[in-house]
Amino acid sequence: MPTNHLLSGSGVTRRDMIRLGAGGLGFGLFGGFGPVPRVFSQASLQAASRDSGRILVVFEWFGGNDGLNTIVPYGDAMYYTHRPTIGIREKDLLKIDAHFGWHKSMRGMKKLYDEGKLAIVQGVGYDQPSFSHFTSMSFWHTAAPNSGNEYGWIGRTASALDPDGLQQNMIVNIAESQTLAVKAADHVPLVFVDPMKFQRGLFAQERAAVDVLAAQSAPEGEAHKYVLEVSRSAAQASEVVRAAWSRYEGKDNPDLRLLDLDKVAALIEADFPTRLYYVPLRNSLFDTHVNQAAPHDRQLEYCSDAIEGFFREMERIGRADEVVMYVHSEFGRRVPENTSLGTDHGTAQVNFVIGNAVKGGMYGTPPSLSNLVLGDNLANTTDFRDVYATLIERWLDADAAKVLGQRFATLDLFRG
Amino acid sequence: MSTRPSWSPGPASWKDDLTPIGAADWNYDRAAHLLSHAGFGGSPATIQKLADAGLDRAVRTLVHYESIPNPRMQPFVESGLWEPALNGFPESRPEATDRAIKNGVSMGIDVKPSGKRPLQPISDRFFYWLRATLLETRRLGYWWANRMLQTSHPVEQKMALMWHGHFATHENKVRDYRKMMQQIDLFERYATGNVRELTMQVARNPAMLYFLDAQYNVKGAPNENFAREVMELFTMGVGNYSEKDVREGARAFTGWYFDNLTFKVDPAKHDEGVKTFLGRTGRFDGVDAVKIIFEQPVTAEYLAGKIYRFLVRDELSPDLRRKLGAVLRSHDYEVKPLLAVIFSSRDFYSQASYGGHIKGPVEHMVAMMKQLDVDECPGVPDFNQSTISMGQHLLNPPSVAGWAGGKAWITPGLLIARGNVAREVLVPDMTGFRDWNFSAGTDDLLGQRLRDGYDIGAATAVNDPANMTAFDRAALERDEQFNTRISGYIGWEQAARKLIPTPRHAAQFDLTKMVLESGAASAGEAVDYLLWRMVRVPTATATREGFVAFLTNELGTGTLERAKSYMEDALRMVVHLIMSTPEYQIV
Repeated sequence: MPTNHLLSGSGVTRRDMIRLGAGGLGFGLFGGFGPVPRVFSQASLQAASRDSGRILVVFEWFGGNDGLNTIVPYGDAMYYTHRPTIGIREKDLLKIDAHFGWHKSMRGMKKLYDEGKLAIVQGVGYDQPSFSHFTSMSFWHTAAPNSGNEYGWIGRTASALDPDGLQQNMIVNIAESQTLAVKAADHVPLVFVDPMKFQRGLFAQERAAVDVLAAQSAPEGEAHKYVLEVSRSAAQASEVVRAAWSRYEGKDNPDLRLLDLDKVAALIEADFPTRLYYVPLRNSLFDTHVNQAAPHDRQLEYCSDAIEGFFREMERIGRADEVVMYVHSEFGRRVPENTSLGTDHGTAQVNFVIGNAVKGGMYGTPPSLSNLVLGDNLANTTDFRDVYATLIERWLDADAAKVLGQRFATLDLFRG
Repeated sequence: MSTRPSWSPGPASWKDDLTPIGAADWNYDRAAHLLSHAGFGGSPATIQKLADAGLDRAVRTLVHYESIPNPRMQPFVESGLWEPALNGFPESRPEATDRAIKNGVSMGIDVKPSGKRPLQPISDRFFYWLRATLLETRRLGYWWANRMLQTSHPVEQKMALMWHGHFATHENKVRDYRKMMQQIDLFERYATGNVRELTMQVARNPAMLYFLDAQYNVKGAPNENFAREVMELFTMGVGNYSEKDVREGARAFTGWYFDNLTFKVDPAKHDEGVKTFLGRTGRFDGVDAVKIIFEQPVTAEYLAGKIYRFLVRDELSPDLRRKLGAVLRSHDYEVKPLLAVIFSSRDFYSQASYGGHIKGPVEHMVAMMKQLDVDECPGVPDFNQSTISMGQHLLNPPSVAGWAGGKAWITPGLLIARGNVAREVLVPDMTGFRDWNFSAGTDDLLGQRLRDGYDIGAATAVNDPANMTAFDRAALERDEQFNTRISGYIGWEQAARKLIPTPRHAAQFDLTKMVLESGAASAGEAVDYLLWRMVRVPTATATREGFVAFLTNELGTGTLERAKSYMEDALRMVVHLIMSTPEYQIV
């Protein structure tokens, strides 16, 4: 195990260090103009405690995951009628019951399911669905199907949890560019992929001048206002992220293939005050129009192993009780296979909610394979905003109706 | 020193007004605004020339560029990586080796008749082309960036870049740099031409046909991918057509495919039946479908709005969008008249448009070179690595929707990356630089092991081959037909052997000369000149003062005459700081 040179002999705990990193490096408070993004300020030092609340990690499986080949309804003969070639045979499944089985690549998630920590939600979608990746995902991002919202559902949840924007780094988005879901009125999400590239390269002499880069001025317009705000938050944020990453031990572990969940684990271990993590899958293979078996097998294995590894990390760190993960895609896929041994864009999908706090099992009504809708598609039996409302209200303890604009039913999938 | 023209946005009331500005409204600063939006900005001398020409001639010269000589445009020099046997390249490594098992040959490579790993050459071949096309595409992107820098037709290049993001395909899926090259050529030829014709060409473009699975769109089994994206992303926008239009449109395009670099139609796979598409009924084919799409008024609005947002500012009102759409439609989808209207309009010079555009990373790199009077994009830092770190990989947009642009270009991380790239250009790490094109990444280790005398099994062992576990030894004994891990390394090596090296020179410029020629005598005047030359939007007084203090301190004096023999590096650091300001990122 690598020695932590920064900390050795100092008697300072890791957690203190991060808090020191937050406020003790001589960054002044920045004054402000409009809704200045507060990354770390006095308020956040008090708020940075690990008791600040429960954490939600959204792991977005972009591309349109084929739910029917993920949780396979092998007990329904119609499944094989629709999918004579790419339907997965009973013998190749990890059985759940007499009707459903896990795709064979998903040993990791199956294990969490068997431990009673994973909820499968069936038939999740919305009415009048879009078959476009981008449109449908934007509906999921904004929680506004066939409509829109300037801000994302995670961004609005941050606003509901902390209306004054006092809590810094409430949202972390592991992505090359900001995901619409995290866009918020009064919180600037931390967006990065590589923590070590997340720093300003400066010659020693230049440090004296760096504080004036985004000096207070009257913005010339919307674009100017925006770049000023981001510039002010950038320096402080980069410092603390790198500190957390350089201390994280999971990154050197070859047994853990966490995709981008390793960065989440690092920040959680470092006691970041973040409550909302949003991780869109990069380099997705889920859009399986053609010769679907191999890429789908691989993608499910990577994702499932990463999720199991992530929760093993949470156990090691001692935070497994405080973290819930939510997995969704932008849509499921067409029920009948196409002529290219693949599947086209579809409608309702299968979601996962995972964590020690989750009452494992099956939720929602599995859509019928006999009564298909909208040209060979699954009818949605659970509005995705029911799942959102469940997470917002029953896990994060925020006002779901305020975030979602109306009241939605919630699922009873948390313990206690 | 003479007074320099200052930031002069038009009144707020000019917003959304497409009336041309008057001759009296034209000045140096407006010319600078025009060039930074229509192209990639330029030196004060270039801007002065535009200002002297007057508005009409300035706009005409920019938009009707065909007669202007463009001597520095040179064709891309290929490394010679392609071979005809690679045509119909398999979509995956399993497909590559399955073909070999079935036919005894795959991609022109025969299966070994006996011995260990009989399919190894097949697997190597597959990875060879993956690396070859990836590396050549990086050279292609660098070549294109230099065209943007060296062209005398900046609007042509700016619009070609726009179309690349609009009709987005990425090499990562297309896996053929030659098809990406065809696209650059197409986007340049039609940069300011007719959008309907361009869309027609895109629908027949091999990269696009492959990217949107056209080869799977056949009579009786239509694949909707292409028909959907044509309407959703390329022409109309979501909400303006039905799902039925998508299905019927897909039928119209059935049988369109490509062979190598050539568009083809297979009459046997084309659905000749009657289709009802966007309210019209007939035996339509793809050409008809495109024509019908361009009969929809919303198409003109969608495209004009997209062009406007790319060139001018992120937000536009529905009213302005309608007006712009009407201009494009009344000129039968010719882009030049639309650009002339935009570039002459009050709206374009209004407060809302001044500083309203966040530069994209490629645009930002090219503009940076122009401001520094650099003649050729440097090899150090690597062009592609630089723009990737800022969020844009030329010829590899993230999806068919292209780059989001606007505010999405700037997050705390990306803003920091912009400053870091500026530093690498201004103070390049010449001795520490490692050529990305000739580094196999983590596979370098495999190469070292082969050279140390380990066989393929040992070289690809998980642990140190000199100290193997029982598990590793057992793995060595396995009877494998090929080893993909070593192929990743061998493929890279084989491609790199043929790849033309990218020249790795630093950017050539002389800030000392630039500042002295400006007439600056003091540190304050030097900072003022550099800010004026490089940053469109005014920076805070405190920022300017901080930079002056920094420069004075670095020079050990505020007098340039005293410091001129040694001030280059200090000036470079000042420019690094300038390029790290939020204001520098917008025009």
